[in-house]
Amino acid sequence: MLDAGRHPNIKILAYSEVQGLEGKAGDFTVQYLKKARYIKEEVCTACGACAEKCPIKADNDFEMGLKKRKAIYIYFPQGIPAVYTIDPEHCPMILKGKCGLCAKLCQAGAIDYEQKDEKKTLHVGAVIVATGVTQFDPSVVTEYGYGRIKNVITGLEYERLISASGPTKGHLYRPSDEKLAKRVAYIQCVGSRSLKYKDYCSSVCCMYAIKDAMLAREHDEEAESYIFYSDFRVMGKRYQQYRLRGAEDYGIKYIRGRVAEIIEDAEGNPVLWYEDTRTRQVKSLTVDMVVLCSAAVPSKGVEQLAEVLGIELTPNRFVKTDPFHPTDTTVPGIFVCGFCQNPKDIAESVSQASGAASRAAGLLGITSSGKRTVA
Amino acid sequence: MGSKDVLVIGGGIAGIQAAFDLAEMGVAAYLLERKPSIGGVMAQLDKTFPTNDCAI
Ligand SMILES: Cc1cc2nc3c(=O)[nH]c(=O)nc-3n(C[C@H](O)[C@H](O)[C@H](O)COP(=O)(O)OP(=O)(O)OC[C@H]3O[C@@H](n4cnc5c(N)ncnc54)[C@H](O)[C@@H]3O)c2cc1C
Repeated sequence: MLDAGRHPNIKILAYSEVQGLEGKAGDFTVQYLKKARYIKEEVCTACGACAEKCPIKADNDFEMGLKKRKAIYIYFPQGIPAVYTIDPEHCPMILKGKCGLCAKLCQAGAIDYEQKDEKKTLHVGAVIVATGVTQFDPSVVTEYGYGRIKNVITGLEYERLISASGPTKGHLYRPSDEKLAKRVAYIQCVGSRSLKYKDYCSSVCCMYAIKDAMLAREHDEEAESYIFYSDFRVMGKRYQQYRLRGAEDYGIKYIRGRVAEIIEDAEGNPVLWYEDTRTRQVKSLTVDMVVLCSAAVPSKGVEQLAEVLGIELTPNRFVKTDPFHPTDTTVPGIFVCGFCQNPKDIAESVSQASGAASRAAGLLGITSSGKRTVA
Repeated sequence: MGSKDVLVIGGGIAGIQAAFDLAEMGVAAYLLERKPSIGGVMAQLDKTFPTNDCAI
């Protein structure tokens, strides 16, 4: 990320949205909207004095709502570009012209409440779509109680809880009472591989649940983990060994069976009712917290973007490609990589990205030496 | 007039890698991200499988 931020041939256009595209392969004109940050990007030093004193709090979407941020905020501390942004939906100065504290505090003079969204144009030869992934909202799977039982969380929420830079500094304080969660259950295929919700395999959940359970044990040697699975899908390089290490070195208990229902006991502990398909018994397990590995789905807004670009999507909203050209969309000159093409992990995303980059370079007649070919 | 520049839409790990490869080939790459900064989901992960190394 840092290398990309510093590269002289990369220009980052953050906080922007594509609005229009015309032309053809080799010769596209793209309209995009650069949203107002109400901050002069070249002037902000990211010192943070503004946010420290800002009186307004709003949900922090980077922290999956587990923490608040101010109305003037940096998306995350290592973010690139390292500049603050004012959230116009919460800032009283933008909403009704009252406050102005951050402008008084900013030594650099970076605040600009009058800044407007700007319409801009780019001229490019090729486009690569890499709009990625989000998690399916598991509250529709009502039997698992997400949104109703406080100690039932999603995979991404767990990622922030276990993160040393996250809202709990890496301690698994569970949402209901901030008690340390020692017994955690992870449920696979919540909305994935389901005829009711998403019929595909999200492909990363088996592996990240094992990782999550390993990290829990690294943080706390008394941590107990239970992964409820349908069957393990750990197909990458050395992934099967990773799974075995999970059981041998980290004591993870793998339970084959779909959980039928989660209820909450009087102390706020989730109680899971499930069939253990190995022993053919119906059992229950009481834990401190449950992590729902809910279906990984294409990012919100992919339909609108596809319409602007004229590319086709599959019924599950992944960018349509054919098996032998997995980085070509249905429009010549527009390529695709990463999760928005099909579920995949970081290793696969990176290699597909290199594939898309070389397809684009090939189209434009560029060789890796940086020189253009003659004919 | 055609262009030899490339626009990458989405600044997660895939978009960053694509832009980086192009940049290394001498292509001007625009990396367009709708959030206030690039990084995508990977930036939200503390550690990543299969190495359990830090994500950022
Ligand atoms: C809970 C969880 C844990 C995971 N753990 C691991 C792990 O440990 N190891 C591993 O290998 N993989 C893991 N994965 C998978 C990993 O997150 C993905 O493989 C990876 O993030 C895909 O990268 P990407 O760049 O395609 O998408 P993303 O990381 O989603 O990046 C896409 C970017 O595009 C931006 N964007 C979206 N739409 C638009 C638009 N219309 N215009 C402009 N910008 C847009 C987004 O804001 C985002 O910055 C995990 C996934 C989840 C859900």
